[in-house]
Amino acid sequence: MKRIRNFSIIAHIDHGKSTLADRLIERCGALTDREMSEQVLDSMDLERERGITIKAQSVALRYTAQDGDTYQLNIIDTPGHVDFSYEVSRSLAACEGALLVVDASQGVEAQSVANCYTAVDQGLEILPVLNKIDLPAADPERVRQQIEEIIGLETEGMLKISAKTGEGVDDLLEALVQRIPAPVGEPDAPLKALIMDSWFDNYLGVVCLVRIYNGQLGKGDRIQVWSTKREFQVDQVGIFSPKKTPLAALNTGEVGYVVAGIKDIDGAPVGDTLTHVQRPCTERVPGFKVVQPRVFAGMFPVSSDDYENFRDALAKLRLNDASLQYEPENSQALGFGFRCGFLGMLHMEIVQERLEREYNLDLITTAPTVVYEVLTTRGGLLSISNPTALPPGNEVEEIREPIIQANILVPQEFVGNVIALCEEKRGDQKDMQFVGQQIALTYELPLSEVVLDFFDRLKSSSRGFASFDYEFLRFQAANLARLDVLINGEKVDALAVIIHREDAHRRGRELTDRLKEIIPRQMFEVAIQAAIGNQIVARSTVKALRKNVTAKCYGGDISRKRKLLEKQKAGKKRMKQVGKVDIPQEAFLSVLQVDNKS
Amino acid sequence: MAPPPLGLYVHLPWCVRKCPYCDFNSHETRGAVPVEAYTDALLLDLDRELARAPGRPVESVFIGGGTPSLFPPEAVARILDRLGSRLGDAPEITLEANPGTVDEARFSGFRLAGINRLSIGVQSFQPQLLQRIGRIHDGAEARRAAEAAHAAGFERINLDLMFGLPGQTVAQAVADARIAMELQVAHVSHYQLTLEPNTVFYSRPPTLPDDDLAWEMQNSCGTLLHGYGLHRYEISAWARPGEACRHNLNYWGYGDYLGIGAGAHGKLTHPNGQVIRYRKVRVPAAYMRPGTATRDAACWEVPEAERPLEFLMNALRLQQGFTMSLFESRTGLDGACMRDSLATLEAEGLLRCEGETIRTSRLGMNHLDSVLQRFLPEAVS
Repeated sequence: MKRIRNFSIIAHIDHGKSTLADRLIERCGALTDREMSEQVLDSMDLERERGITIKAQSVALRYTAQDGDTYQLNIIDTPGHVDFSYEVSRSLAACEGALLVVDASQGVEAQSVANCYTAVDQGLEILPVLNKIDLPAADPERVRQQIEEIIGLETEGMLKISAKTGEGVDDLLEALVQRIPAPVGEPDAPLKALIMDSWFDNYLGVVCLVRIYNGQLGKGDRIQVWSTKREFQVDQVGIFSPKKTPLAALNTGEVGYVVAGIKDIDGAPVGDTLTHVQRPCTERVPGFKVVQPRVFAGMFPVSSDDYENFRDALAKLRLNDASLQYEPENSQALGFGFRCGFLGMLHMEIVQERLEREYNLDLITTAPTVVYEVLTTRGGLLSISNPTALPPGNEVEEIREPIIQANILVPQEFVGNVIALCEEKRGDQKDMQFVGQQIALTYELPLSEVVLDFFDRLKSSSRGFASFDYEFLRFQAANLARLDVLINGEKVDALAVIIHREDAHRRGRELTDRLKEIIPRQMFEVAIQAAIGNQIVARSTVKALRKNVTAKCYGGDISRKRKLLEKQKAGKKRMKQVGKVDIPQEAFLSVLQVDNKS
Repeated sequence: MAPPPLGLYVHLPWCVRKCPYCDFNSHETRGAVPVEAYTDALLLDLDRELARAPGRPVESVFIGGGTPSLFPPEAVARILDRLGSRLGDAPEITLEANPGTVDEARFSGFRLAGINRLSIGVQSFQPQLLQRIGRIHDGAEARRAAEAAHAAGFERINLDLMFGLPGQTVAQAVADARIAMELQVAHVSHYQLTLEPNTVFYSRPPTLPDDDLAWEMQNSCGTLLHGYGLHRYEISAWARPGEACRHNLNYWGYGDYLGIGAGAHGKLTHPNGQVIRYRKVRVPAAYMRPGTATRDAACWEVPEAERPLEFLMNALRLQQGFTMSLFESRTGLDGACMRDSLATLEAEGLLRCEGETIRTSRLGMNHLDSVLQRFLPEAVS
């Protein structure tokens, strides 16, 4: 146990986490050159493309230090986005130390700060590492100051490396061994292991990534999952080196995988505790919680023939993604689909992209909405994740919206823009601190304002320099109402949104204007109205198409004319019919984009 | 089943210059038009075509292009003479002519050759608009062409007019229609410029008047034409009573026609009820090669499922619509096959069914493409 080092790498996107991991793997000779594909850790294509980690992973390396001893280094990879902060905390819980990797030219970003604080809170030893020192734009001194000022970390003994060229990596390995503490735990105590992550493997069933706190976990053991009390027989344990390597047992302090005939991912919740059936531990690993989706959206196949495929695809994604929720939804406008729940906007985008890319589905996604709490006049408390489910006004005592705390880090010159944005988004400033050349802003914001386009707006109002992280705080009563959209007098359920009453006119106008641009002219005039209850708050009109007829048609060649008709009909088929009005798919996303015109 | 009336279309594919909006099978002359060789090929083609519809009189002939008036009257005479006894009684024989290629003497020659109706591609009388759409003539030449046609003794003259031209105003469009009327013609084809694939304008689109402006042009011109006693008997065709183009009416009534010349299309109903369509080789040089003119480049049967759409694509263009018995005799189908669709469209106010007669409403006429889409067979074989 003395020669085990468990650590994770905390870094902002593009600051070089994956490259550094590759370099460490290479230095420890874990893979031949031929096996070294770029960025071993991020195994999903999508992760590689987006440069972010979605699932936690681990790699166990053997490193012979200058003291002559051979150490087991467990690199525990953590997701790198606000949507996955719970997963981050579980990964960090398995470590004794962390490398804070900061780009020597870019400096500190809010995401790293947030993860770093989580690590500090959990008592991890943090080693600041300046990466990319080979770049001409590198400014190690400035970034060092930032780390001290913003994060409050001692930078004495800060490591300067270039993961790309390998410069400084040897020193880093030595520092890891010397400065990160060995795990502590009782090998003879009852088994206590943390499920850091779990995923579904087509051949093995659910594979759990675990950290052993006490005891030993061996092949053939009967184990129990704490929260469900379900029992399983261990088929296989082992480590990733980075190839999957089966072992007889995982010992105290180690990180590795367990296969135990668990059929679905809900059987092994992230953050849960594993122990032995015969000799259970007396308390679980702290910090477990059931992850709740915060953002919901309806997803509908463009072609109703795809419904079955869509359902199967969601089931398959769910195998590996316990935080994805879905249930059938039937929309008057869009037909049969599913109401899906996500951790956040990035999570939603990833799921949507995977469905479209890996399962070849053509989907319409309605505007995402957060979960509201509704107190009814009869004293009931409802959880509303679909605007159409909002009870009629006379049955509603109070609507509560989720409030988050946003931590924003922005260079001074853009702070005005960012404050203006936060105010526009109904933010409540809680703190503002100068940290070097940067300003750390703390705001309480309604989550509904954040899911729309906050991140994009934040980036564009700071030329990309502002960074942002958030956590859920509470539900809070607000003056909310559902904004309905009526097209030629018919309510279009898929276009409804819950908004602040004081924004009703502005949002209504933006929405009707935008729909007017998107809905093509038809044979008849199309009236678009936005309404709250029976009160129309905005309207616009798509003028009738004057004519749709081919000017010239001499009998001779009619094939071209026929093709034109077919093309017109195909175009119409791609639209959704509401009453007699053909509505293009983009319309259903327009609710999302109304804020863009500021 | 009595065969439908039979027309003959003759395609003369050369033009002095290809217009940037034109997607017809027309080719710039680049030197002398091979009149003799092409006419020889046409005659061979014609002999075979006539044999395709044995015994049936040709009720109308339409010589189109291209610019048929580039051909000398003698060549036209050779073609018409070849029809001989196959020409029906009082046939309508139309020739397309373009200003800038004709004078009174040439028109007289065409008349002597047997032409009794002229269709002149005026498009506009405004020189700057004509220039913008790449025409070779100016406004004065356009007027002179119409006057020359009268002087040569033609009583039936059509002028083609376009609206919605780049930079055109409503006043200019109306002025064109007025000049056409002052030139005493009994027929006007009044159609909107559209950007068709495979044209210069399609790849480099000019700025055209918007839909609302084009709509105003159509209406204002319509009012003027109406004031001069012309009626809109088809989407784009206006005529005094009795002056409608009979050759085109045959197309729109789903009649039969033979087609000769490069890229010409034909349609025939066989005594057994089969409806066939065919076309000739498009490229003139290929068409003139020995043995080619008498072969179809393609020939196909129109399946029953396609016939309602084909019929309606034509018949509903006419203001008068069609009768159910015409539908049944021309398609060989039971009119009941369209009953549901027609009832729906009538309920939507797009069609009017009055007794035997079915026609578009005003709305339906303006949105004919939307109406026709309903008749596209679901599965395309």
